Amino acid sequence: MGSQVMKAPGGTAAVAPSYARRSRQLRRLVPIYLFLLPGMALFLTWQLYPLADAFVMSFFHWNLLEPSTFIGLNNYQRALSDPLFWQSLRNVVVYTVITVPGQMVLGLAAALLLDQSLRFRAVFRTLYYLPVITSWVVVSIMFTYLYNSQAGPLNYLLDDVLHIIPNYQIWLGDPNTALPSIATMGIWKGTGWNMVIFLAGLQSIPREVYEAAKVDGAGAIKRFTHITLPLLRPTTTFLVVVLVIGGLNTFIPVWIMTQGGPIHSTETILTYMYKKAFADIDLGYGAAISYLFTALIFLISVAEIRILRRRYEY
Amino acid sequence: MRRLLLSFLAIVCLSLAMAPAAHVAASKSVGSSLHGTVNYWNAYGNGNSAEAQALTTKVIPAFEKKYPGIHVKNLSLPYDGFFTKLLTSLAGGTGPDVIRSDIVWVPQLANIRAIVQLDKTSWFKAYAKQVFPGTLSTNFFKGHYYGLPLDTNTRVLIYNKTVFNQAGIASAPTTTAQLVADCAKIKALGGGHYCYAEGGTGAWNVLPWIWSFGGSITDGRYRTAAGHLNDKGTVAAIKFLVDLYKQGYLSPSILGGGLSTTDCMGKNLCGMILDGPWMVPIFKASYPDLQSGLSLVPKGPGSGSHSVVGGEDIVEMSQSRNKPAAEAFIRFVLSPQAQIWMGNVGQMPVLKSLSGSKQLPSYFGIFQKQLKVAEPRTPSPHWSSIDDIISTEVQRALRGDASPQSAMNDAARQVNALLH
Repeated sequence: MGSQVMKAPGGTAAVAPSYARRSRQLRRLVPIYLFLLPGMALFLTWQLYPLADAFVMSFFHWNLLEPSTFIGLNNYQRALSDPLFWQSLRNVVVYTVITVPGQMVLGLAAALLLDQSLRFRAVFRTLYYLPVITSWVVVSIMFTYLYNSQAGPLNYLLDDVLHIIPNYQIWLGDPNTALPSIATMGIWKGTGWNMVIFLAGLQSIPREVYEAAKVDGAGAIKRFTHITLPLLRPTTTFLVVVLVIGGLNTFIPVWIMTQGGPIHSTETILTYMYKKAFADIDLGYGAAISYLFTALIFLISVAEIRILRRRYEY
Repeated sequence: MRRLLLSFLAIVCLSLAMAPAAHVAASKSVGSSLHGTVNYWNAYGNGNSAEAQALTTKVIPAFEKKYPGIHVKNLSLPYDGFFTKLLTSLAGGTGPDVIRSDIVWVPQLANIRAIVQLDKTSWFKAYAKQVFPGTLSTNFFKGHYYGLPLDTNTRVLIYNKTVFNQAGIASAPTTTAQLVADCAKIKALGGGHYCYAEGGTGAWNVLPWIWSFGGSITDGRYRTAAGHLNDKGTVAAIKFLVDLYKQGYLSPSILGGGLSTTDCMGKNLCGMILDGPWMVPIFKASYPDLQSGLSLVPKGPGSGSHSVVGGEDIVEMSQSRNKPAAEAFIRFVLSPQAQIWMGNVGQMPVLKSLSGSKQLPSYFGIFQKQLKVAEPRTPSPHWSSIDDIISTEVQRALRGDASPQSAMNDAARQVNALLH
């Protein structure tokens, strides 16, 4: 900092100003910022600006074409006293409570099986992962046919072949079975992704730890509960946070399979928000619902990370 | 440094060159007002539907021949998602000039001033006189007409002659009591047969029964549902459906899941459905062996046969940049020839002069007869919420979560909050 004393030709001393150094730094940084600029511009335009605009919109009543009217916190108060908002929230929490453990347990089981030297391991991995890469729309339509109460294969299998159920069930038309039916599809679709993440976690656990445990006489179950599970904690934390966010944001399967029915038993926050904004043309209210939900997801995520974060050393 | 800057500039220029072309400038009316482009949106499904084909191969070419300076850009979309797409483009200022609007959307679009008050034009009255009054009323909102009817329809009883023969039923029921008796015979066939199939519990599905039992949704001025949506006739209609469901006469499709009404009829598993004129060409294409008949909706006790007015209106968007050309197109699609072309693909005409015309499919006769005793749905900008309330409460009654009276009391209370 400050000037540097330099030897000029002929041995006399001369001072190099610090702005020359700053100028060099700036010349180095300018191209970097220029290359970042287009991506940042897109991010600002298509992500940040709509987010900010939606937040502002949540304090207005706006029907799309006419000038909006400022109504303060009215939309938020309306949402908090709206029974359908709370029912949608309950539904989406139930969906998450069913799908998150379901995916994780089945994903971990598959990962444990595939973390061994098996023939055709790659084939099994691919088969488990196929549902993950299949479009939600396609899967939802397929499962709608599967669950069809008159001609669906599920009823045929459970009633006509296995005689497990007394008669054909209206899976998607009964408030008691509609949400669990959609959740089952969610578990089927997400298990493969969990398997891949758990597999990566399992392969990062050093084998020596297991060998040392074997030497100490620990059986398979003890090794699983005292080594595998604790050392998978970072992976588990990541999965819980991501899957809970994903579960709470369920939209496509519900929209395609039941549209929130029957009797709002599968209504999620996002389907309810979508209907309010685009069917009832009440965009301010839809925006308020989305921000209330965002705040909730943020709080849940922070709580999850705090509760589940614990370092393990080995 | 210079190289880096030059590289950056090259990337920027390339990006701009590849950017989508700027929004095409609005069609200008040059000289005469009948020039330019008319963007016409409709829900005739994808471009392969019979309706879209008739529109693009007959109606639009004939219009463009009459008005060589106007080009019609047609966009046929599936019904689901049409309204959302319309709203999104209106918000972005890229909406169409004219749309074929579901009649239930007109109050909503009028309420947000998205469509033009057509009764302010000099030519409106002349065209309004030519259409059926019931169909014209679907364009009325808060004292003004916001469009003209384009096509109309209603629901009649479609019965499966094969199933009827198997069950020993000679003819279609004309009363609800006869329908119940016929249901017992069809149920006796067993083998997954249902007497009656309905696709849902929304207003479109249940209103023919509500009105045929002497019930209603609101008073005549659409101001209150109390004493109407929960009156004796409405409750009796819901109880009728509940009894049909409890006795196993009603297909599970009414509550979601199950075969569609089309497939149920086509596979000879259902005896009767209520549906519109589009089903005749649909059955002909999908189930050519189906033997079916058409009849009026059965009368309820102490009441007549009633049904629900459906159809679409043709409306002009407020954002249209070529209103003279748009209005010329609206007038053209209401011409007798255009109505006949669309009529021959199942779109029932609205012109009084075409009533009983031999140029139209003969099966239109029963629908036109039913239309004489068909009622329009409540013209409210909150119609989608009202529809949802009716659907939810009827479902609660069908499932036994509430009695028909209790469910309709709840419905009336909730609908009242929307009407006030």
